[in-house]
Amino acid sequence: MGRYIIRRLLQAIPQLLIISVILFVLMQASGDPVATLGGRTPPRSEDKERLRREWGLDQPIMVQYVYWLVGNDWVMVDSDGDGVSDRYGQRRGVLRGDFGNSLVTRQPAMDVVVERIPNTLTLMITAEVLIIVFSLFIGVYSALRQYSVMDNVLTAVSFITFSMPIFWIALGLMYIFAVRFKAWGLPHLPTVGMYDPIEGKTLSQVVWHLILPAMSIALIDIARYSRYIRSNMLEVINSDYIRTARAKGLRERAVLFVHAFKNAALPLVTIIGMDLPFLLAGAVVTERIFAWPGMGRLFLDHLTRTDFPVLMALLMLISVAVVVFQLLTDLVYTWLDPRIRYA
Amino acid sequence: MKLRRLALVLLTLTLVVASFGTAAAQDRKIATVIFTQELDSLNPMYTTMSFAAITRDFYLYGAWHFDEELNPVPVLVTEIPSMDNGGISADGKTITLKLRDDIKWSDGEPITSADFVFTYEMVTSAANTPLSRYPYTPDVIASVEAPDPTTVVINFVEPFAPWLTRIFRWVLPEHVLRPVFESEGTLDNAAWNRAPTVSSGPFVFQEWETGSHILFVRNENFFGEKAKLDGVFVRFVPDDAAQTAALMAGDGDIAYFLAPSDVVQVEATGKVKVQWVPSGYNEGWFFNMGPDGHPALKDVNVRHALAMAVPRERINEDLLLGYFYIPASYWEGSPYQSPNIAPDPYDPAAAAAMLDEAGWVDSNGDGTRDKDGVELVLRYLTPPRQVRMDTQVVVQQAFAEIGVGLILDNPSYDIFWNSYGSGGPIATGQYDIGQWSSSPDGYPDPDSETFLCSEIPSPEKPEGNNWNYYCNEELDALFLQQSRTTDYDARVAIWHQITEILARDLPWMGMWTDPDNYPVSTRMQNVAVNGVTPFWNAYAWDIAG
Repeated sequence: MGRYIIRRLLQAIPQLLIISVILFVLMQASGDPVATLGGRTPPRSEDKERLRREWGLDQPIMVQYVYWLVGNDWVMVDSDGDGVSDRYGQRRGVLRGDFGNSLVTRQPAMDVVVERIPNTLTLMITAEVLIIVFSLFIGVYSALRQYSVMDNVLTAVSFITFSMPIFWIALGLMYIFAVRFKAWGLPHLPTVGMYDPIEGKTLSQVVWHLILPAMSIALIDIARYSRYIRSNMLEVINSDYIRTARAKGLRERAVLFVHAFKNAALPLVTIIGMDLPFLLAGAVVTERIFAWPGMGRLFLDHLTRTDFPVLMALLMLISVAVVVFQLLTDLVYTWLDPRIRYA
Repeated sequence: MKLRRLALVLLTLTLVVASFGTAAAQDRKIATVIFTQELDSLNPMYTTMSFAAITRDFYLYGAWHFDEELNPVPVLVTEIPSMDNGGISADGKTITLKLRDDIKWSDGEPITSADFVFTYEMVTSAANTPLSRYPYTPDVIASVEAPDPTTVVINFVEPFAPWLTRIFRWVLPEHVLRPVFESEGTLDNAAWNRAPTVSSGPFVFQEWETGSHILFVRNENFFGEKAKLDGVFVRFVPDDAAQTAALMAGDGDIAYFLAPSDVVQVEATGKVKVQWVPSGYNEGWFFNMGPDGHPALKDVNVRHALAMAVPRERINEDLLLGYFYIPASYWEGSPYQSPNIAPDPYDPAAAAAMLDEAGWVDSNGDGTRDKDGVELVLRYLTPPRQVRMDTQVVVQQAFAEIGVGLILDNPSYDIFWNSYGSGGPIATGQYDIGQWSSSPDGYPDPDSETFLCSEIPSPEKPEGNNWNYYCNEELDALFLQQSRTTDYDARVAIWHQITEILARDLPWMGMWTDPDNYPVSTRMQNVAVNGVTPFWNAYAWDIAG
């Protein structure tokens, strides 16, 4: 197994390099950080030219990529725009752990990203737990009572919530449970934010502010997951070995949860494994609507300012997470299904 | 039985969770300001954001600010410099600021002329990369001197008319930042930029939770009138609909910029009143008169004909709910606009006649005017904001009635504003009509470089700002003349000539005025915003009850 893991990790290196080239080119095409500088006193044309030079944006794209990857502290650069290279560059490059500084906040790009990870994980793990718990309950219940009234109701509700756009669900929940409930004098939830700074960042405050965004994310994915579980469960409980287990006289609970459920859960592992790295990415729309200070929101905020260093740091972090979680998923799969072996 | 137990559990949970939101008593008076964009920096050297400029009134004062009527009010100085009080030299090249002797930072250190000189040094230092060095560049300011702790002398290369809105709108604390500059060699990465440790305003920075909020608390050492509020909490809510919901729910006291339809919605609650203030912004059309623009637009009569075919009154009434009006110039509503100019009236019949006269007729019977084999079909670009896209459709229909075709396009903001070097459609002139909202740089001063011939983008001048490629040397001379005329009346007279020439040549046509709006909760008292330093009297803000 050790050799298998090492081989997969080695394969990941060229994979990540190719991803980084593609992302870098796409980011460059997404806009111009100097052109987005506006406001009441936008920089004059001379300032824009200076900034473009100081930020290295006047270089060809492949040169910019090389500097991003390996740094530019080994080449002389023109710092004052007189056409003469006068000092060494100051960037060390991603391979030496330097993702550059944010063009917006001037902070190290990776620090900007890492700062948001706990907030995003708080939201996304809560939502994922809600999704798994509720979808397991609904999926198994529906499978065991196929075509019952409750199964039909749950199926209908699943299709409705799965069909609704996330922004609509989020704004709808906000309008009902925050705006209208308050207007009606009922206990109400907060509209936006992760906590009320006046109260402080306490556990109760975070939980209180977490309810609406977590529910918004969960509502859609509960529908998706529960449908998978229902169909897998149906397939498994009608298979021969389940019939054999019952014939052996095992109790129904043991048949369902020891023999059927473990096999029915296999495809779920794949889905969860695929979703896990994106927990890091956050939920772009939900975080934006509920002003949740997570990674999705960070991505949007910095995309509108075309802040390449932060966007690249964030996307590369997610890319690494995808590679790692794919490997972990494969390992879990072999544990759950002994028929699968390392190749 | 099971159902009853479940209901009981749910009820208990609801009560427990509900108690989270109401448990703590809110004794302190803290106002919540909602912004749709998070600030990038609290050091003005590293930001050009409107939101950052607005926030500055809480913690970083300049030499003066502007009151509700946009009159300059001395803050760090004893009086506004003028020729009468000797603050401006006879040749207009030297301005002397006399500082108050009782001004101090929140840590008790006095604010002196050394802070002004330090600010100038930091903006111009090659070791720093501020977003803008204007107007502290050597072609404008020769030197800034501090002959004594309460005197600042600014020596200009030439008389500099827009000084009032351009210089020392903020001042950095030398005693805090010089050691940082000397140890790190730059201020670019100073922690102070995002966590200023001292303040010269009525509030002091307390915390910045990235992506969430900034909290300011009362500056107990403020040299002016002490703030009535205990603090101000600036919350970042990027979604417009969520901002509106937060205002309706009472989760915000002041916000900045709502769409007209949202204004109606929040005011209907009776808990919010929206304050409108002119800020120099006007939505308008830029006609591309450059080599890649449609040949018809090089004819001034065609430009006027098109202006007369746009139902601007109707657009303002129907699409913008009557909140705005048609600006006659880029400087609408300011004394610098000539009283002799007015927008072209809506008159499609006269517009059609003018186009006929200019030789643009439908010679091939396809329903669209043409001339010398060129169809009068124009590319009309504007960023994808709903009201702009609605406007495009209205204009397309109106133009069709006089035989002018329109190709509508809505590139995303990043594409729309892309630079000349990156092939941005506006910067490279790949459009015929471009619509966006723009502010005369430095409002309420009219200082602007938008229409200068020297600002036409080219490979040699890729960052030029004159995106309609309009060039009039007579106008250039007047722009230069006004920038060096420090006598107010004489300068206004020059500006009247400028605005009359622009109204005649019509490189730009106003669509609607675009004032700022600030929804303010009815529980807030003494909030009196303006379009330049909107939170200038934040020290006087209070919360009822």
